[in-house]
Amino acid sequence: MPESPVHQDATPALRIADLRFRYPGARPTDPWIIDIAALELAPAEQMLLTGGSGRGKSTLLHLIAGVVDLEAPNAGRIEVAGRNVHALRGPARDAFRARHIGMVFQTFNLLHGFSALENVMAALMFSDIPPREHRALAAALLESLGIERTDAAPDRLSVGQQQRVAVARALACSPELVLADEPTASLDPENADIAMDLIQNACRTRGTALLCVSHDPAMAERFPRRARLDDLHTAHLHAAAPGLAAGREGGEAWR
Amino acid sequence: MALTDLTIVRRSLHARLFSTCVTALTVGVAVALMLVLFSMRDAGRQAFARGSGNMHLIVSRDASPMVAVLNGIYYANPPARAIEWAKYEQIAASMPFAFAIPTQQGDSYRGFPVLATSTEFFSDFEPNLGEPWKFAAGRAFDKPFEVVVGAVAARETGLRVGSEIFLTHGIAQSRQLGQADAVAPHVHKEFAYAVVGVLEPTGSAHDRALFTDLTSTWIIHAHDRRKLTDPSIRTTTEDDLLETDRLITGIYLRVASRPGRDVTALLPAAFDALRRDPTITVAQPVQQIDALFRIVSNIDVIILAMAGVVMVSSAISIMLALYNSMEQRRRQVAVLRVLGCSRPRVFGLLVTEATIIGVLGAAIGLALAVAGALVAAGVLRNAIGLVVTPVFAPEITLAVLTGGILLSALAGIVPAVMAYRSSVADHLKPLG
Repeated sequence: MPESPVHQDATPALRIADLRFRYPGARPTDPWIIDIAALELAPAEQMLLTGGSGRGKSTLLHLIAGVVDLEAPNAGRIEVAGRNVHALRGPARDAFRARHIGMVFQTFNLLHGFSALENVMAALMFSDIPPREHRALAAALLESLGIERTDAAPDRLSVGQQQRVAVARALACSPELVLADEPTASLDPENADIAMDLIQNACRTRGTALLCVSHDPAMAERFPRRARLDDLHTAHLHAAAPGLAAGREGGEAWR
Repeated sequence: MALTDLTIVRRSLHARLFSTCVTALTVGVAVALMLVLFSMRDAGRQAFARGSGNMHLIVSRDASPMVAVLNGIYYANPPARAIEWAKYEQIAASMPFAFAIPTQQGDSYRGFPVLATSTEFFSDFEPNLGEPWKFAAGRAFDKPFEVVVGAVAARETGLRVGSEIFLTHGIAQSRQLGQADAVAPHVHKEFAYAVVGVLEPTGSAHDRALFTDLTSTWIIHAHDRRKLTDPSIRTTTEDDLLETDRLITGIYLRVASRPGRDVTALLPAAFDALRRDPTITVAQPVQQIDALFRIVSNIDVIILAMAGVVMVSSAISIMLALYNSMEQRRRQVAVLRVLGCSRPRVFGLLVTEATIIGVLGAAIGLALAVAGALVAAGVLRNAIGLVVTPVFAPEITLAVLTGGILLSALAGIVPAVMAYRSSVADHLKPLG
């Protein structure tokens, strides 16, 4: 597997600084679910985050995507393609997400009642890409990912093909960052392999950074850069505890 | 072609086709009910306004003005007490009337009332203002034992010009009602009437009546009277009539309008003058019809309130349908949000969905209402001879349809708020 290209001078696809998060309703004495001093992903870089379930992997992805709010006492800064995601509010953040962040899920989360093509077009309809280009763009993308029956409903496609549609949807707007949440958890090992090849190659071809969370040990060898979420936390605590305002370069150790 | 919000709404409605159809139907029934009620109310009023035509006053010896109108113009019952011919002549001469048409009820033909009258009934009286009688066939009667048949009566009995009929004394139905003291109806077999004319429909109760001249009616009753004393009597002619045989039951009056004076000024004066006579009942049909509708309008309000309740309950059912589907669609909403759909847009999608159900319902309602009103009009015509033309007043129709759609949109707000507030993160997780 070739080393991901890292351009130091380019705007990072993802930059997290001093991120601390607890679920709403948690007591002030509860530990932070997410506590990351610093994490950076260069353009087109691919990284694997591992950790047991319930350790906040998905929550981290939702925070990055901006579908979970970062409100006091939670704090921190999450930049995607140079933009502070949580500085954007409401529809502006949604529009930003549409254009710059793609998501792939364990259960694909394809829209029922919509064809494969329409699922990809659904991702385009919330972006600023001119509507007349949507159909051609989606068709070309699906074709490049090997889906021929673009008019088929997702539930008529094989599991592997469904995953391709989901990947195509995540990449439709040529985002800077793709977030993959356990993308292989519902696949058998053979299909998992194919799916990961697909996701990684597609991202690489388009210069899209990929942050993948998984607890599948087989994934490790696919990612030159990987970290355990718990270790990110621990490292942070070691580097910065008890004062939290100090500089946090510790996370970078996990590059 | 890109996907639009409308595509998403359409797919969502399609995915829950049964629920969509049932909900739209509920709205449709409510809208239809409202429309039919409004339409029938107006049409009913119009139908009742028919029949009095260009008459200003009706005189009879009924117990009240209302009964005088119901009996004299709508043939509810034959008036029980008669007016002597001398009295008629006195009233007719009491002031300058444009017409004073004597009428007599009491006989029937196969359940249809027979009105004995004078030829002015056809020449001067107009059943609807500005619409004189029109003959579908034949002509008006001009001598005794000729009969003219109303449009509905002709259709139901099959009578045509040239038919020969025998009248029944009394209304045949009174026997079925089991009224012990009712005069047993009997057929005047000795006197055959010739049908000489069939009328065009007027939309009034007159369509169910048959019309003949007074003299023949007096003759057949005089014949009955004479047979009681002398059963051997074979014939009775006009020469055998006594003054006591010359009876009528009502008078249609039209006040003559004098040059330079509005009839609206003369009418109250004529009305008051006649009312001073305690032996007669005088009524202004228009007033009595208004009074009747004031009574009926109370029921109207109740029915309209009920229709309103049906409308609100159908809005609730839209809310429920969308609410129930929220569990299924939370994931879809979450996926759309991840793809970049904003909260307000999600809110809009659901309200649009509810609105479309409302629009479908309004369309179904309009179709049902038109069909339903036609059926109801048919039933009314056949059952009580009330000719009702369903009229959907554009402004009321528009208001009801708009109301239905707005209410539906309003019903979409509750589930839309739920979708608005729905947590994205919670609904992206694997099922189970």
